[in-house]
Amino acid sequence: MSAVAAKPAAGGAMNPAAMGVGIVLLILIIGVCYYISPGLGLMSLIGIIIGGILIGFGVHFVPVGGAPAAMGQAPGIATGVAMLAAGGGLAGLFGGAWAADQGLVVAVVTGGVGGGLMMAITCMMVNFIYVFGMGIPAASGKVKNDPITGDSQAEFKSQGTEGHGLPFVSFVGGVIGGLLAGAGGTLIYLMLLDLYKATLPTLMQATEVQILPIAVSAAGIFAVGMFLVNAVLTAYNITGTIEGPHDPKFKRWPRSIVASAVASALCGLVAILIVV
Amino acid sequence: MTVKVEVIEGGVPHNQILATGLIASLICLYLSYLNVITGTMWFSFFGGLAVVAALYWGSHTIKVLCSYGIGTGVPSAGMISFGSGVIAMLLATKYNIAAPIVALVLAAVIGLILGYLANEVLNMKIPAMLQALTELAIVGAFTLMGFAVLITGSFTFTALTTGTVTILGLSLPSYQASFIGGCLIAVAFLLGAIAIQHPFNACLGPGWTQDRMLMLTAECGFLSMIMAAVMSFALIPFGPALISLLIAIIGWAYTYSKYFELSKRDAAAWLDAKPIPDVEVQ
Repeated sequence: MSAVAAKPAAGGAMNPAAMGVGIVLLILIIGVCYYISPGLGLMSLIGIIIGGILIGFGVHFVPVGGAPAAMGQAPGIATGVAMLAAGGGLAGLFGGAWAADQGLVVAVVTGGVGGGLMMAITCMMVNFIYVFGMGIPAASGKVKNDPITGDSQAEFKSQGTEGHGLPFVSFVGGVIGGLLAGAGGTLIYLMLLDLYKATLPTLMQATEVQILPIAVSAAGIFAVGMFLVNAVLTAYNITGTIEGPHDPKFKRWPRSIVASAVASALCGLVAILIVV
Repeated sequence: MTVKVEVIEGGVPHNQILATGLIASLICLYLSYLNVITGTMWFSFFGGLAVVAALYWGSHTIKVLCSYGIGTGVPSAGMISFGSGVIAMLLATKYNIAAPIVALVLAAVIGLILGYLANEVLNMKIPAMLQALTELAIVGAFTLMGFAVLITGSFTFTALTTGTVTILGLSLPSYQASFIGGCLIAVAFLLGAIAIQHPFNACLGPGWTQDRMLMLTAECGFLSMIMAAVMSFALIPFGPALISLLIAIIGWAYTYSKYFELSKRDAAAWLDAKPIPDVEVQ
């Protein structure tokens, strides 16, 4: 059986009933938010949910290799999802946070570019180490030809491995993943920052300048927390490793979208409850 | 896919560790309320002890969860624990004296929903997942609350966001010199997240023994407590901060020497696994 004809591993099936429960839960949480804070709170929650979905979807693109990749037996970056998402996504979040004063669009794009840049550098250095340090070529085990360049992979793949190194499609996937995850993390941060800047002065009887450190810090730590929750849930979805957008496991993304939306809505609601 | 690769042989059952960690951590958090009753900061160190108790329980929960091959690495469990815990903990601090109880309930609800999402929506189907993610969220919330108490002497939202700076002998309120305003919470977050995942990550394998892993957890907890106690010099008076630091150093030295002994004990044991059969024997 060729690698292309291989069926997705067990656990790839959808669970429609649970997806339904998830969507009902999502609507319920949005309803609760509408009840307690119909204006600013609801808008922030929707932004947070979109950010969470971007993170959950984005992580699917990132070539996560895990321990087998460290031994050159599977393609991808040789570490776990939590570390990679934290590296790429949080780099984007910090980049976006610097541009927070320049408006939503500029800041979100900056966050995306920051995350994509971080992943591009990571992917390039990973390939440097694979090729010049470990002496192994880049070859995918999941497809016959690279979907972007069309280069054939089988000749370069060592027997007994699932491929190794970082093929071009994985590299591109990593950059796209960094872009989406960085933009998503920044969006969550900006939503919470705007909400806290608007509500904390009345809550704490202080001026906006005085509460700014608290607004920035609380929004930042919440964004980091939600980022990690979404990244780890996505890691559970792909059961640890993925090669990039050409991997059969990539088709599991609808499950992750539902899970990320519910998890972000839940965490976002709690974060909004602090100030309303 | 969900094959349990290791079983707990002998040792203390998980439920007993759960109960001990939960109760000890709650009691320590409430003992720190003596600060408010007596109007001093001398009881801040109880926060550090709450951290150690919560981590002790949390690392064993990670062992239970990660014994099923979840495929994402042990650190991810520590990250989701604190990611969900920090959200529950910050809202709970608004409820003054009830904060630890509210953190417990809120973290349990968040953890339960995340566990449901992981198990049913994402189709992980791991029997321990629901309970483990619930426990881990509570551990994350308690650990962060413990660090907050250790560093600022209190677990209320006002105390965590308001500090004072002294300029030329004049005491002024400042939001920047505080646990949240100064973003010390980010340091506490990672101190805890690393301390909770490291012990099982370091001790896993065929030579895993429960007492050695738990001793390493206590050691990691006290090591984090040393860092947090050093940070607490900025926010609480010198005397109480020094007491926290001394307790942390003594606790760390004791647990480290114990861990060293246990490591030597376990290293002497040899597992006769014989991966390559002897073919040369005639």
